[in-house]
Amino acid sequence: MPDLFHSDIQGFILRTYAMPALRVFALKIDEPRAARRFLGRLVDTGHTPQLATATDWTVKPQYCLNVGLTYSGLAALELSASSLASFPKEFAEGAVARAERVGDTGESSPENWKGQFASLDVHVLLFLFAQPEDVLESITRQIRALYCEGGAMSEVSVHEARSLPENKAHFGYRDGFAQPVIEGGLPPVMPDVLPKAPAGEFLFGYPSQYQDFSYPVPQPDPLGRNGSFVAFRILAQDCHGFEQFLTRAARQTGLDRELIAAKLCGRWRNGVPLSLSPQAPGEEIPLEKRNSFDYAPSSSVPDAFDDARGYRCPLGSHIRRMNPRSSVVAGGGGLKHRIIRRGLPYGPPYDPSSPDDGLERGLLGLFIGVSLKDQFEFLMSDWANKGSFAPGLRDTKDPLLGNNSNSRAAFLLPVEHQKRAIELPGMSRFVTCRGAAYCFLPSATAMRYIASLSQ
Amino acid sequence: MGLFHFGAKGTPENGAPESGARENEPDTTRKPVQSPLTLIMTIRSPEDFETLSVRIHEIQSLPPEQNPIWKALDKLKIVHFARFVFLENNTKLAIITTYDGSFDDYLNEFIDEIGDVFNALLQHMKDAPPLPVQRNRDAFGDYVKANDLGAIEPFYSAYPQATVLDIQAALNDG
Repeated sequence: MPDLFHSDIQGFILRTYAMPALRVFALKIDEPRAARRFLGRLVDTGHTPQLATATDWTVKPQYCLNVGLTYSGLAALELSASSLASFPKEFAEGAVARAERVGDTGESSPENWKGQFASLDVHVLLFLFAQPEDVLESITRQIRALYCEGGAMSEVSVHEARSLPENKAHFGYRDGFAQPVIEGGLPPVMPDVLPKAPAGEFLFGYPSQYQDFSYPVPQPDPLGRNGSFVAFRILAQDCHGFEQFLTRAARQTGLDRELIAAKLCGRWRNGVPLSLSPQAPGEEIPLEKRNSFDYAPSSSVPDAFDDARGYRCPLGSHIRRMNPRSSVVAGGGGLKHRIIRRGLPYGPPYDPSSPDDGLERGLLGLFIGVSLKDQFEFLMSDWANKGSFAPGLRDTKDPLLGNNSNSRAAFLLPVEHQKRAIELPGMSRFVTCRGAAYCFLPSATAMRYIASLSQ
Repeated sequence: MGLFHFGAKGTPENGAPESGARENEPDTTRKPVQSPLTLIMTIRSPEDFETLSVRIHEIQSLPPEQNPIWKALDKLKIVHFARFVFLENNTKLAIITTYDGSFDDYLNEFIDEIGDVFNALLQHMKDAPPLPVQRNRDAFGDYVKANDLGAIEPFYSAYPQATVLDIQAALNDG
């Protein structure tokens, strides 16, 4: 397949920016014509700031700006009824209406969301990634001036995230290993041994991962082609609860606390997968090898250990649920529900010496794919919050992401030569959704198209 | 892994704590993970029935490793049982199955594996969705839903918590 039209595609779909700061602006459109002009300015060369596309970098820029539009945002921009009707149902319904399906219930339900994400007022999300803080501030000033021009948009809320040392997330795991490599895309930062994902799994206008099928392009074509979707989520993490659970589970089982942490995630906290190093953290395994594994012998890894029962990496662990690779799963689609993960942690690092500091910490997560229903929602509803997709999981859920608020929630830890898995009771919901939005990620052409509606 | 031990969680039988269960948490252990499909398709004409009948018998007389329906269902690992029955004086074809999960969840995988069989069957059906089903996935899903008689609830299962994958893994445990 020839290279994709990189300069038309939003950069963070195809590339990891590896920038330490992220500021997300949630905006409400007040003046549609001025808002359309604002979007046009971001793709009109000669102006600053510019939309970050996937064009090759000769020099890494100091900031990258990306744009997401909710369904109510597209309506507020005055797209035609026929155009709005061409978007998929799950996007039109939005994150609030779809909350129950993805497990955003109880504490995670929209009535508890912050930043007015539960309202229909979030129309536009601007994602500003930056390298030095002063650039973050100066671009912020410029963007604010631009979206205030002509009363185009008003700020609903602003959300900050900053990277933690060693690329770790708040539960202490090194993150960012598994990302799909897209046909015609950019070379990956971290090598991925799995088959390349067809472009149509992540962009409108190309053949998808399913036979003889491309996801219908939202209409008109210049609006939809080269676009994608993102589920933006503010995910609070209960680090203290998680660490307490590990302590209790270690006491209950006599197993090493860090081994239990690895069994829950599927990786040791340094990112080494249990599949490559089942007994010890395997520090000697270089970073670029920490994603080169499979759970069964496959065309990608013919000599992989056949871990059908999860003796190395439990079938219910976080990374095996979210990306079962060549594992046997219901429907056989272990490689067909991949997702691009971007985002950064928010809040200060967890300090075990002051566990009850009352500070919220978590992740501003971006989960990108051409179908919210078949990718993000499928992962959450079928693989994170059910156990029926793989053998022997009963009704357990993802130990990190799942809705484990039920008092019977447990994790099953299979052990070789033992008839029954060790059951670790006393899970709780370690990750709570504090806000979410489904956004269309328009191409540069689409933003020009929207701007042209002013004419 | 003791996959035949499907005892309700929280019972002494499996060693989980008896106390501490919050009130009002529904007991979902008898709600089957399996679902019934009773798909009744109306055949367009007696001539269509003749062609269809020949085609289905051809497929079903193949050895299992060559039968495209068996091969597909073996790969999908979500269908417990499946059978074809002609009904109402050969004016209708029923496909009756018991499968795991919800039809929507695995629609894409289902179409990828068995879409061509449905392309062959549906060309003889009244009010068939646009073909091929691979390119008209939502329409195929809507057709199946519209023509699925389901069951008069509740749907009985002797092993409500066991999926195809659970059962096969348990049998392989020996």
